[in-house]
Amino acid sequence: MKRHIIILLLCSALQLQAQGGADGTAFLDRTEFKVGYSGTIFWSNGIAVGAEYLWKEFKKTKERRNAQRTNTHQFLFNGNLGFATNFASKTDTGGFTNFGVTWRRTNKKGKQFSIDLNPLGYYRSFLPETYRVNGDNVDRVSFPGRGYYSPSLSVGIGKQRKGKFRSGSYFNITYSPRFNYNARTLPTFSIQYGFRFNFKNKKQ
Amino acid sequence: MKQFSTFSLKIVFIVSIVWFVNACSDDFELNNLDETLFVRHKNADMPAYIRGNSSEKVFLITLHGGPGGTGLGFTGKAFEAIEDAYGVVYFDQRGSGNSQGHYDEDDISIDLMAEDVLALVKVLKRKFGDDSRFFLLGGSWGGTLGTATLLKDQSNFKGWIEVDGANNPAGLYDLYLETFPTTANTQIALGNSVDFWEAVLALVAQVDPVNNLDDFLTLNGKAFEAEEKLFEDGFIASVENGIGGNETFFVYNFLTKAWNSGKIQSIFDDQGLFQTVDFTSQLSEIRIPSLFISGKYDMVVPIASAQTAFDAIGSTSKELRIFERSGHGPMFTEPDLFANTVIEFMNTHK
Repeated sequence: MKRHIIILLLCSALQLQAQGGADGTAFLDRTEFKVGYSGTIFWSNGIAVGAEYLWKEFKKTKERRNAQRTNTHQFLFNGNLGFATNFASKTDTGGFTNFGVTWRRTNKKGKQFSIDLNPLGYYRSFLPETYRVNGDNVDRVSFPGRGYYSPSLSVGIGKQRKGKFRSGSYFNITYSPRFNYNARTLPTFSIQYGFRFNFKNKKQ
Repeated sequence: MKQFSTFSLKIVFIVSIVWFVNACSDDFELNNLDETLFVRHKNADMPAYIRGNSSEKVFLITLHGGPGGTGLGFTGKAFEAIEDAYGVVYFDQRGSGNSQGHYDEDDISIDLMAEDVLALVKVLKRKFGDDSRFFLLGGSWGGTLGTATLLKDQSNFKGWIEVDGANNPAGLYDLYLETFPTTANTQIALGNSVDFWEAVLALVAQVDPVNNLDDFLTLNGKAFEAEEKLFEDGFIASVENGIGGNETFFVYNFLTKAWNSGKIQSIFDDQGLFQTVDFTSQLSEIRIPSLFISGKYDMVVPIASAQTAFDAIGSTSKELRIFERSGHGPMFTEPDLFANTVIEFMNTHK
């Protein structure tokens, strides 16, 4: 199971790269990078970085209160990599990565609403000094920790800054269950707040 | 400017290396321990928080209540005092607190969790040496687990301390049906919280006289409410003096802790912990020095449970201490007396 997830994650990453590989400029045009806080404030704090590749975009115009409103709808591929720890203990530290699709709606003022569905996700805990006991044998474990399949669903708001290098900000609430955690599935919630960057805009 | 940047980078690099090396170091001071390590046993990774003064390599291993409590839930004034005298090992049991792992719920049993405790002892011996000495303390459900552990192998322990321990979970139902009316009638006669105690009497009359999970959970919940009333009416001392600060709030993610607790409790409920498990007939097999501590007004594991265990235990050196101003948490309500009692017992038997 773990091996299959890793292969899927790699394939997904390669697919993202391949789509922009033919023309580096086009790739940068359509890709934003992001970095921000990830955690629960009280029990875990960390950082997450990621990228979003624009797959499809269309505009929808609606009549509302005798005025026309045009919203931009985008579908993006996204990938994230993060790390979070609990500074009050050594028992809740881990890294995560997830990949999937984002739907984002942007209004003419640049206000955004988005939903990220990342079915490919992996969480790896990092434990301090750990000893494995098997019968009377006690051995110290190297790089102790455990991996969990951990897809995620995020709902968030944001603000677009058109044509700027720092092209936007986001605030997401994320639900990412860890499967087969202890005897069942552990639900976890976290928040992400950060900024998006468009390197193409830097050149302009 | 460039020179300054290079110099700054060097400093940052050196500080990072020193910090990293220190973080990876296994050095520790036995007289002031503050170590966290994990025990990996049968597909579970369980943290042990080891604190205090273990200059004599004497450790008190604590087993929390629940099932599904937290190892550090014991911390407070009493255990601070115990830490000054001895090393204290706070252990998040399988499926509790910050424990993690992959296993099937059918694999969970008291037997397996008792093996986890013995695995912890092996790890502590590996870490601190074979000359280490151990006492075992179990509170509430920890009393059930501790008893199961000692019945498996008591040779590792110098002594057993049971605090409001439920070594007969199946018997609690009948104890509630006996204790609730007695306490209720006494309190009504004194004119204390009459409405509440009359409701308790009505509840006892209403529940099935045969032990069943639904009624057990109702009675168990009522037991905690009853202790609150006894506190309000001045029979149980305040926990404010003895309870720990905010530390455990930040150590345990609230959601993870609650989820773990709910799951492990439901697994044991389904297995019939409170309908079938009773170690009373095996207590005679436990022969190490034993100390039973019970709150006089403990409604959750009534005092009669401690008396029965005290009578049945096979130890020649045994003691029953009743805490006059306590309910189910004597380490919080009478912290000084609790610490002194435990330290005295350990001093005698180490």
